Amino acid sequence: MFLRQVLRATSRKEFSRLGTRVGRRRLFGSVPPPISPATQRWAYPSSAANVGHDEVSKLASQSLHPLSLSDLVKHGRPPLSAGSLFDSANFSSRLLPVRLAHRIQALRNLPFIVVSNPHISRIYNNYLHSLSTLLPYAERPIKTLEEEIRFTEIMADLVGTHSNTIPILARGFLECRKYISPSEVKRFLDEHLRARIGTRLIAEQHIALHYSSRLHGDPNVLPQKDESSSYIGVIDTALRPEKIIRNCESFVSEICELKYGVRPSLVINGEVDTTFTHVPVHMEYIITELLKNAFRATVEHGNEREPVEVTIAAAPAELLGKGNNQVWTTTDENSMHRELGVDAGSAATASSSSASAGNIQPLPLDHSTPCVTIRIRDRGGGIPPETLPNIWSYSFTTVSEDEPQGSGNPANSGTVGALQTISNAGPGSSLAGLGYGLPLGRAYAEYFGGGIALQSLWGWGTDVYLSLRGVGRIP
Amino acid sequence: MCSEPSPPWRPASALDEWVQREARPISLRQLTFFGRTLTENRLLSVANYVRTELPTRIAHRLRDMQTLPYVVVTNPNMLHVYEQYNKAFEKLRRVPEIRTIADNDRYCDVIHQTLEEHLTVIPRLAMGMLECHDLMGADRIDKFMNTLLRSRISRRVIAEQHLALTETFNSPWKHPDAHTNTESQNDFVGEVFLRCNAKEVVERCGKMATELAKQAYGEDLPVPEIRIQGHLGATFPYILGHLEYIVGELLRNSIQAVTERRRNHSPPPPIDVLICEAPQHVIIRISDQGGGISRDVLPSLWSFAKGAHSQTRLQNLHKVPKMAATMQELKVPDSERCDRDKNGNFKTRGKRQPDKSLSSLTSRSPTLRLGMGLPMSRVYAEYWAGSLEVHSLEGYGVDAFLQISKLGNKNEQLTTRASMDAV
Repeated sequence: MFLRQVLRATSRKEFSRLGTRVGRRRLFGSVPPPISPATQRWAYPSSAANVGHDEVSKLASQSLHPLSLSDLVKHGRPPLSAGSLFDSANFSSRLLPVRLAHRIQALRNLPFIVVSNPHISRIYNNYLHSLSTLLPYAERPIKTLEEEIRFTEIMADLVGTHSNTIPILARGFLECRKYISPSEVKRFLDEHLRARIGTRLIAEQHIALHYSSRLHGDPNVLPQKDESSSYIGVIDTALRPEKIIRNCESFVSEICELKYGVRPSLVINGEVDTTFTHVPVHMEYIITELLKNAFRATVEHGNEREPVEVTIAAAPAELLGKGNNQVWTTTDENSMHRELGVDAGSAATASSSSASAGNIQPLPLDHSTPCVTIRIRDRGGGIPPETLPNIWSYSFTTVSEDEPQGSGNPANSGTVGALQTISNAGPGSSLAGLGYGLPLGRAYAEYFGGGIALQSLWGWGTDVYLSLRGVGRIP
Repeated sequence: MCSEPSPPWRPASALDEWVQREARPISLRQLTFFGRTLTENRLLSVANYVRTELPTRIAHRLRDMQTLPYVVVTNPNMLHVYEQYNKAFEKLRRVPEIRTIADNDRYCDVIHQTLEEHLTVIPRLAMGMLECHDLMGADRIDKFMNTLLRSRISRRVIAEQHLALTETFNSPWKHPDAHTNTESQNDFVGEVFLRCNAKEVVERCGKMATELAKQAYGEDLPVPEIRIQGHLGATFPYILGHLEYIVGELLRNSIQAVTERRRNHSPPPPIDVLICEAPQHVIIRISDQGGGISRDVLPSLWSFAKGAHSQTRLQNLHKVPKMAATMQELKVPDSERCDRDKNGNFKTRGKRQPDKSLSSLTSRSPTLRLGMGLPMSRVYAEYWAGSLEVHSLEGYGVDAFLQISKLGNKNEQLTTRASMDAV
């Protein structure tokens, strides 16, 4: 029993490392972003930054621009010209203050006693600080390379400052649990998490474009146009789901063998060769979480001889040829999102608004499969019916039930239990493996209009359906 | 349409009185319990339960219809349904208390006749709703349809169950010792089939759907094989007609999708059916490779009123009432129904169609698309505390999940039913 727990703890650490590893690798390429001393000093300011109340209210009253994948690729393929890079910077500097102001507003609307908590107030101050660093750029557009470099540093500061927001918030909410209901916490975290995905993506995209354009480096090194690269910033325009699945498989298999000594095999069928445009790190995160669940369940159910079956489906191309992108922007779909109560600013469907407003010419569809559905089917025995209602809550991992940290009460595995897990993770940890897998994976999938659905066959296995939307046209 | 008469005025007081009463839900377990230990007294008490329950439940639906916009109820199809309900209500509420077996036999004839008359309700209702979809909003229509259909199922179940119990009571082998009449002799207790075998139902429905497909597409066209795996011994008590309707609709959808997508390829990819048995429920998963459901259809998949092809569906629905008559004559000989006297012939019993309105739908040609197979199936599945979900892999295929509660084992079905009947 003890050995089992140790093994679990080990693999848990392994799992949590993945998120960081994958994230860094893709986001920053080979060039790590410079962290200036200023960043470190300013990471956790002790007092509110210099931002007026009016300023926040004014910004927060502006509606959020629904971010789409086509927004993020509209500046063209890197290396970008200085002009395009400035466009990208200005696009980011226009969107981010409004987004931060919305988060500040949401924090301000929490009960006073909650925001007085040191953890929550730290996050609140982080947001105020980040907003104060961005405000100067909201007033005047970026026109020179020097300004752009400083702006990129601010972006890096933003990404760094907020990387631990969720565990810190979780600890804060845990300490405040007497004063705020679990459902309120869940609502706040749900919204926060989704908003955060977009905010970080905007910042990371600009940072990635900055480095892949290399306008500032050694003047002797000319930026070379790498025609073979399908990347635009953090977005891969020829993302091959099969490749991601195989990568994630080998990672998860290692952990699985380390922990159990066996692993199930994985077969991929369906449209194996399909490619589409998406954010690889998002997809890696989701697939890793899903495969971890599938592998673990299969082995623990004693079924490692039964392969995990992954089926890739791509929406037929002729569907997309029939209009510009009417397929994505039907009113039904938009209303569906409203019904789901997803933050309008974060759950952007791949809308046509930016395309028509921007300078993209509708091109013939290179990768005409903007909707990919991936089914992961395992023989791991399914999910117990009594567990099923909890699978999308932050708190929940089926694994943690017999582990000591859950305060030994399985009935207690509500939001509080989850928060406990998260906040125990301490600073520097990633969210992976801490009970966030499914809900965070779903947030990522839903971000660009996709989703995750799960069907449990208790006593047999589980089918998970991941759908992701791409973008039809790439400049 | 203009010449259509407006609904006649009726005093509302009689209806008001019945609407005051609450429906008293009954569980499948109670239905079987009565059937297993059938005595004259029990039969009469069931008869009186049905006697007050039917008009009560009809009254609630009538009041529902009365609150719809005038323009909707004056639609000819809707008016037909409204008049049918009114007629049934007037007839059933006047039935005096049932004191003797002879009273009961007369009452059974009334029920039987009413059930027959109401066979046209579903197609007429569906047509009316499609014609009115711009008059009252699709969501409201769907809510109305769901409530109405659910209530209709409940009435037909208790009515048919009572007819079946009466049959059992009158059967020659039942007497004299009613207490030994257990499932060892007969797997049916009234309408409830105590041991539905999931695998057998899938096989039977698969065969029927395959035959229908061959009739429609031609004998030569390869039809997908239906492979069944999983817990093949799973059994549960259920109303066979309901299960066959749902499974039949799902298999029909799958066969159709696969066949039409791969007209020139052979052999077509198989349809994989998985039966998964858990202590509380059985899940039947049907996976096909028929290309999936496209995104623009998905939002209206479960709606009676929404959707792109409402005109075609309307035209197709017009063919169903005629079919209902002809298919009935083909499937169920008149003699069987009419000779349902005190010495009923039970040889044909296994073949009896429990819900005749369903059988006409189940046996229609696959080319006749009504666009209500899925929403109807879901109403049936949910009625017995189950569920029906569909997941589409666009460009590849569809997985349908039918979850069935094992009613015989569960006491809380009563409360679940109660909350559902209260809708």
